[in-house]
Amino acid sequence: MVLTLAKPRPIWQIMFSTHHTDVGLMYLIFSIMALFIGGAMAIAIRVELFAPGAQIIADAMTFNRLFTSHGTTMIFLFLLPSASAVGNYLVPIMVRYKDMAYPKLNAIAFWMIPPAAVLVWLGMADFGWYANPPYSVISSPAPAAEMWIFGLKLLGVSSILGSINFVVTILKCKHPDMSIGKVPLLAWSFLAASTIAIMALPTFAAGLLMLLTDRLGATGFFNPLVGGDPIAYQHLFWFTFHPEVYVLVIPAIGMMYEIVPRFSRRPIFSHSSGVFAFVLLSIVAFASWAHHMFATGMSFTEKTVFMVGTLAAVPASAMHVFNFLATMWNGRIKFATPMMWAIGGIALFFSAGAGGVVNTAMPLDFITHDSYWVVGHFHLFVFGTIAFGTIGFFYYLFPYVTRRMYNEKLGVVHFILSMVGASLTFFTQHLLGLYGMPRRVFDYPEIPEWIAMNQIISIGAMIILVGMGIFLVNLIYSSARGKPANMNDPFGLGGKYYYPYSQLNPHHDKAGY
Amino acid sequence: MRTIWAPIILIVLFATPMIQLVFASETPGEYVNRAQEIWNLFFRMMTIAFVVGGVIAGTIVWQVWRFRESNPKAKPTPYEDKGDL
Amino acid sequence: MGHSNWPEWIYVAVVIALLVYVGAEAWNIENLIDHAPEDAEIIKVTAQQWFWSFEHADGTKEIGELHLKKDHAYKFEIHSKDVNHNFNIPEFLVLMDAVPGRINTVWFSPNESGEFDIQCREYCGLIHYNMRAKLFVEGS
Repeated sequence: MVLTLAKPRPIWQIMFSTHHTDVGLMYLIFSIMALFIGGAMAIAIRVELFAPGAQIIADAMTFNRLFTSHGTTMIFLFLLPSASAVGNYLVPIMVRYKDMAYPKLNAIAFWMIPPAAVLVWLGMADFGWYANPPYSVISSPAPAAEMWIFGLKLLGVSSILGSINFVVTILKCKHPDMSIGKVPLLAWSFLAASTIAIMALPTFAAGLLMLLTDRLGATGFFNPLVGGDPIAYQHLFWFTFHPEVYVLVIPAIGMMYEIVPRFSRRPIFSHSSGVFAFVLLSIVAFASWAHHMFATGMSFTEKTVFMVGTLAAVPASAMHVFNFLATMWNGRIKFATPMMWAIGGIALFFSAGAGGVVNTAMPLDFITHDSYWVVGHFHLFVFGTIAFGTIGFFYYLFPYVTRRMYNEKLGVVHFILSMVGASLTFFTQHLLGLYGMPRRVFDYPEIPEWIAMNQIISIGAMIILVGMGIFLVNLIYSSARGKPANMNDPFGLGGKYYYPYSQLNPHHDKAGY
Repeated sequence: MRTIWAPIILIVLFATPMIQLVFASETPGEYVNRAQEIWNLFFRMMTIAFVVGGVIAGTIVWQVWRFRESNPKAKPTPYEDKGDL
Repeated sequence: MGHSNWPEWIYVAVVIALLVYVGAEAWNIENLIDHAPEDAEIIKVTAQQWFWSFEHADGTKEIGELHLKKDHAYKFEIHSKDVNHNFNIPEFLVLMDAVPGRINTVWFSPNESGEFDIQCREYCGLIHYNMRAKLFVEGS
């Protein structure tokens, strides 16, 4: 237990700590704060797009900065840190070790993130979260672009350091009695995601540096006038960021592997299938990057190669879905809040994947490329799967972190609002894309179907907003005043289901916890 | 009775491209209709996606209903009270 | 594995079979639409921030509008003068990036006459949202 709002710990005790539970707590608080900041940007975007013409945003430049910062914030400042929060808190416990392998490095990796966030938020670059040249080199205003570049540099290094820590902790520091095959699936998911991150990130680190030197005028990597190629950047970017989306989704699936078996009161159907699927996905993740570039003028053969590479990743994901469904079979399922989020997440995971298969079928990309279909598709992944899994897991972890219970009724309301809101928002975006509306547009023509769908989407976003507000109230109030939890079995599952390996925070916990 | 739909859907999905291959030659004034071909593929893919999605979603809904702990037919799993899963 | 796993194997086999079908069909259709006919008229498309200009094979130039004939075949040679754009005629599913330093091609044959939208489908800055043009297809 590290968060005691009723009798707060000295703030510097947490901030200077290198213990994995404290570092995990800092990641947790930061990621939730970033979720709300990124969410506020999304709400601003949706209010603006409610109807044609300018609503609350005065000009296109502000809008362009908003969607860039929304994407950057959500991916780098919410999703990745929230995974790090869970991993830092639980991986040492799961492998029965006292802390992460390199505790000081761990704290340093966390503390690189707030300055990076400040750079991104104060800069408010306008070139989309992917910063494609030539626009990002010749047309995007300074100093926003440079601040974004430096911010992302810091975030990349932080990610690599954190990943190294996870890999060494799991492989080298696990308890001698624990064979690698017995390591829990959540820990396996962090091993897989961290390995992908270490393999993939250096490519973009290079690309980012090349972008900076191009902007400074020192080089012309992406400048066709001096023999460079803008498309080279896209290869460097997507070689990193396609595997990166698996870095995002794999821990969330790992979190579902903790929740689904426990709340079904059955062991996971096949632990080895889960391991195999994670490892396979980690490898195949690297085979699909240029499916993001189908419209750049690739040859038929190139497109075919990447279509096959993309499709090859689907069976691994399908194995996870099977594992979850087979685990619930013949179970006795308790529908507490974490389980609802996990099951909702599995259902939306399938929809996201199905939409992705449509995108990768080469000719269908002519319908969907850079349209709202793509926006709906990836939001079903990042919100519908990853955020659902993560938020459900935050509820699950709540008694562990605070020794109190959150309010179950509010948790259920949050889930229902999010499920309804996400379905309204993101499925409608698929349809809007089929009708031809492009992404990243401040305004749109007065086409009646586009207007109607945009309004439905904006209403869905408002529903999600209400749910998130309830979430915040629940989190804060229950941390301070929630009912003390039964630490052996906070969810009433029967038997000793809650982590059998108790971890003591050296600053605070007394023995016997 | 319901299983009659499966072969019908499969036949339609496979016959459509085969018919295309037979009529694939082009003459001036009769070029392949890009939009029609692509949308046709799209709707076939959507059919598969919704059928598979229906099966998966249907399974999830049924399981959630049948195996909920408040179901009168619910019985404890063999793993309960054994502790750590 | 302590218990029988055959349902999982069947399930994975079905998934792979479906994906093979998807991949094969996609390959098939792409093959069908990929090759421009010999007699397609070449239209040069120039993208720049934030408007479209066109040049027909006979040298006629148009800005912000494009006049084509129904049922003729046209091949677009697309390039950009500044940043990345994407030439998109949603009604006919014509879509191809305009990248400075290279020429991308895509072909089609409009099978209906009327007035259609042309829009930009790759973020290109301030007026990306309004980088539009009109396509007029004449003939019966």
